[in-house]
Order: sequence, then structure tokens, then C-alpha cells
Amino acid sequence: MSEAEVSIIRVQGTLMVTLPADPDDPTVNSLQERVLEALERRPARGVVLDISAVDTLDSFFARMIAETCQMVALMGSPTVVAGMRPSVAITTTQLGMSLGGATTALDVERALLLLERQGGGRARR
Amino acid sequence: MIPEPQGEIRIGAEVDIITARKVVRELASQAGFGLTDVTRIVTAASELARNVFRYAGTGVLRWRKIDTVTGTGVEFIFEDFGPGIADVDQAMQEGFTTSGGLGVGLPGAKRLMDEFQIRSEPGKGTVVKISKWRRK
Repeated sequence: MSEAEVSIIRVQGTLMVTLPADPDDPTVNSLQERVLEALERRPARGVVLDISAVDTLDSFFARMIAETCQMVALMGSPTVVAGMRPSVAITTTQLGMSLGGATTALDVERALLLLERQGGGRARR
Repeated sequence: MIPEPQGEIRIGAEVDIITARKVVRELASQAGFGLTDVTRIVTAASELARNVFRYAGTGVLRWRKIDTVTGTGVEFIFEDFGPGIADVDQAMQEGFTTSGGLGVGLPGAKRLMDEFQIRSEPGKGTVVKISKWRRK
């Protein structure tokens, strides 16, 4: 089920987390630990959660994303949730969910710009 | 995978929530719903399929494509034989939960669909029927 895997890579000091289109519950469940462990191994100036491939964000998935942002904040890094599709934004709102005040961006490029401005540029190593 | 206009799958494992989403997505797309409506329908179905698995352990998802002179619709029935819901009105309230969740599943699914019916009997189980219509 490689199409349903979360990918975590580092790009210029930023942790890029890419979520698959339709992950199963265990994959969503493992997201938080995987992101936090990656942060602990090597600090980053921020985390980008790329949800541009995600086509269904139900309450469970939305809660996991909101919680991930809070947890990353507790570890001292900002998170930007990037690329939510219009159909997903409409549905999530009507479902009654929010991302708990997480910072969002239209796409990954804008998310990276946001982090750059927030963090004053250079990543810690 | 193209589902038959009518059919059913068993929900008895976590992975069946994904299968339910896939079937529902295919059926709704095939019925001609636009992307936003397909997303609404799949999201509502995902909430209900997860409820079946979480609260009852096992259940059945039945689906039906409906064609009438006035429009095309899709109908989904989630039935389980779990503990049931003691107070359905309370369960339909925003924020009410017995599982530590957010309590948006049932009221949220209702908002996303055109029709929503729930019937539950403590000790016997719960049936939720949802449908959405596409006007011709």
C-alpha cells in the first residue's frame, strides 16, 4: 500500500510531510509520532503538512492534523498546513471541523515562504 | 473498481473504512455528482463507517443508486448489531460523544447529506440511512 504512505523529508531545514490521498486509520494515527520523532532527531525551522493530495478529510483525520500542529508547537516549531483542496475546505467546514487555528497556506511554496518569514531564515542544525 | 448499482460490504475491520470510502466515491461519481458533492458524500460515509467499526465492531454497508424522473440519487445504509444508542437525540447534538471523539460525526454527516435517518435500539443495534439527490 505504498500509495497510502506518509512521506517525511527535509528540504533546506524544513520538515516536509506529505500526506497520501486516502490514508487508512493506522497511517493517520502514526502521523503524529513520526513527525515528532523526525523533529527530535533533527530540529527544523518548521513543518509543512502538505495535504494537497488528500481528497477526504473526515473528523478523525482533521483532528489528527490539528493535534499534530499543537504537538509540533509544544516542541518549539511552527507548522503550516498547505494545499487543502476547495472541495475538502467546503466539506470540512460543513462537517463542523476546523484545524484548531493552525496556520494554513494555499500551497507548499507559500507555506515555505511563510516559515521563512516567521523563523528569520536559517534553520538550526 | 466499479460497484454494482446495488450491493453491500461488511464492515468488520479498520481497513473496511477505506473500502467503504472507495465504494461510496465510485458510486457517487458514477451517479454524476460533482467533486464537492462526492467529497461531502464520501466524508459522511467515512464518519458512519467508522462509527460502525468503533462502536459495534461489525456491521454492513448497503448502497443503492436511485433513478427517478425527477433525479438521480444515491442511498447508503449503515447497519450494525452493536450496543445501540441510548439517547439518539443526544447523539445528534453537536459535541456529544461517548468515545472521547469530537462528537461531530452524526450531526456533521447529517449536514453533508440531503436525507438522514437514524434508528437505534439499545442492545440491538443502529441503522443510519443517508441519501443525496442530483436534480435533473
